[in-house]
Amino acid sequence: MTMTRQRPPLLYVEDEPDDVFFLRAAFRRVGLPPDFPVVEDGEKAIAYFAGEPPYEDRERHPLPSLVLLDLNLPLRSGFEVLEWLRSRPEGRTLDVIIFSSSGRPEDRSRAAELGASGYLLKPASGLDFAAIASELKQAWLNPDGR
Amino acid sequence: MPIQSIARHQWRPHIAISVTLLVVLTAAMGWLRLIHYRDQPLSLTYGLPLLLCLWYPSRPLLWSLVASFVSMAAYKAFVLLPGDMPAEFSPALHWSFQVVNLLSVAVVVHLVLRSLESLQVKNAQLEHSNQELIAREEEISRQNEELQAQTEELAQQNEEIQQQSEEVQQQAEELQAQTAELELANRALERRQALLENLLQSLHGIDEAGDAPRRACESVLTLLGDAAVSAAIVVRSGGELVVRGSAGRIPVSEERRPLAGSLAAIVIEHRRTAAIADLRLRPDLLVPAAAEADGPAFRASLAAPLRLDGQPAGALEVYSDRPHEWTREQFRIVEWAAAQASLILEARRLHDRLLATNASLETQVRQRTLELQELVNELEHFSYTITHDLRAPLRAMHGYAGMLEEECLASLNEAGRNYLTRISTAARRMDQLITDALSYSKAVRHELKMTPIDPVRLLRGMIDSYPVFQPPNSRIELMEGIPSVLANEAGLTQCFSNLLSNAVKFVPSGVTPHVRIRAERSSNAVRLWFEDNGIGIAPAMQPRLFKMFQRLSKHYDGTGIGLALVRKVAERMGGRVGVESEPGKGSRFWIDLNAAP
Repeated sequence: MTMTRQRPPLLYVEDEPDDVFFLRAAFRRVGLPPDFPVVEDGEKAIAYFAGEPPYEDRERHPLPSLVLLDLNLPLRSGFEVLEWLRSRPEGRTLDVIIFSSSGRPEDRSRAAELGASGYLLKPASGLDFAAIASELKQAWLNPDGR
Repeated sequence: MPIQSIARHQWRPHIAISVTLLVVLTAAMGWLRLIHYRDQPLSLTYGLPLLLCLWYPSRPLLWSLVASFVSMAAYKAFVLLPGDMPAEFSPALHWSFQVVNLLSVAVVVHLVLRSLESLQVKNAQLEHSNQELIAREEEISRQNEELQAQTEELAQQNEEIQQQSEEVQQQAEELQAQTAELELANRALERRQALLENLLQSLHGIDEAGDAPRRACESVLTLLGDAAVSAAIVVRSGGELVVRGSAGRIPVSEERRPLAGSLAAIVIEHRRTAAIADLRLRPDLLVPAAAEADGPAFRASLAAPLRLDGQPAGALEVYSDRPHEWTREQFRIVEWAAAQASLILEARRLHDRLLATNASLETQVRQRTLELQELVNELEHFSYTITHDLRAPLRAMHGYAGMLEEECLASLNEAGRNYLTRISTAARRMDQLITDALSYSKAVRHELKMTPIDPVRLLRGMIDSYPVFQPPNSRIELMEGIPSVLANEAGLTQCFSNLLSNAVKFVPSGVTPHVRIRAERSSNAVRLWFEDNGIGIAPAMQPRLFKMFQRLSKHYDGTGIGLALVRKVAERMGGRVGVESEPGKGSRFWIDLNAAP
């Protein structure tokens, strides 16, 4: 937990447990803390940001400095979560990266319109999440290392 | 005429007459002087007989007489006289007087004769020139005659020409008359045509329905002139007649009227034109009222049947406000107009029906289109979700297989490792299938925006990005002269990457792929050739090559979508694809594209 205190934590919004598993494995592989918080649908993501139950305890559920957001989510889609976030003062400066298996240009342009900070395509293999992890490590989670 | 010939023609003394005269005169003179008065000198001069030569102009005779008389005088003077003569008359003197006398008379006569002769020559010359003049005059008069003859001939010809000219004039007049007649007929035809055109125009929908019958009535009235004042087109509807259109100075009432008892009923029943010269003589007939008149306005009527859908279903009626017989020409006009009106009504009916059908069809099409659009949207969403959802377990499958291979390889036996490889390969293939299927459906559905593109730039970028297209893996040659094309950049990239991937993939093992890309330019199209040294394709297989999910070899990886995608995209960009190949001799794929403007 000392790491999370020093470095802004990541929140991963993802409904596929396999993808969560692969990202944690990849983090472990590149030397990042693999114990980032995860929420499984859009409703929970919004509740997390709003500090609503069961996420009212900011000690246990701190606000992240980076969000990795899947698009195809139960209840509320990734776009809806992004839109909600960008409509809030505290969510406007947050880094939100879309992480989707959709390569459709219309999804990319919609993400950019709604104010996404980036767009990462999910690899075809869970094994290739390592490349994503090292990219995240360099770009956001480890700015001092650059 | 020359002088010699003139001299030849002049008078000449005859030698016999001259000699006779000489002898006679000499004898007479001799007898007188020498015998009768032989002893006395005679006062009678010797010169007198010489004067005879003035009557018979012969100078040889003259001088012969002179010689004869001189010798005779000498003989008398010197021989006969001397004894008796006075002294003073010597013979010599006597003779000399007589000779002088003789010579002077002879000279005078000679001169006279000479001048006579010259006169005669001149006379002859005059005569000659006179004759010449006469000859010329004759010549001139002959020529004159010829001229006269020619003049007469000319006059005759002139007359003939005059006559022909008159004939031509006459023919011209006849022609003119015929032309005038033709023009008249032409004008009548033109008028009919104009009326017909006018009627046909009303078919084109701008006019409200019912206008065409009115126009037909107007045209028939125009053609009939003052023989009719009103025309109406009536159609049978049950037991009544309905006016579909009317025209005229005294219009027919638009109200429905009973069919029975009308002239229209008769022509409908008998299917032929009928006329009434005086309606008052047919009180049994029901005559329609005029729209704005109290009493009966119509005195004569002519009606022809109208055929609708092959059946007599109405009539074209014309009315006159005075009784009169109807001419054959008027019959013809009304029949002609009825035929036109039938056609127009029929066309109108079909047109209306067509419009109604069209309208319902359009509604149907719009509805179907909406339904289809909805279906397409649903399908699109479905296919997107399916592929998206399919990808997650695939990603997991491949990921776990990979992790298993990395972390637990030692605890697996040979067969286990083999299975693991097969799981990974299958997952990769599944992912490729999903990607290709998505690309294909995108190529089918999405509008492709066309821009001018340099194929060389696209191909170079592709070759530079993928090691599989670079030595030593393969050798790809871009020939000179590949022009820009009009295409969709993403689509063209897909085509090129599929064609290139195939070209380097399907080679016999141990052979380095060699691909040559060149262009053929026609007027506004570009054909790009991709020629490889691969395994080639049997002709029987070639038609299946560009179809979905057709794989020609199990020995090479592939989804069977690539070439179908190339064909679809090329067609969407207005182009075509094809191949020329033989097994073992490489393949030559071509793609036709529009040249950049």
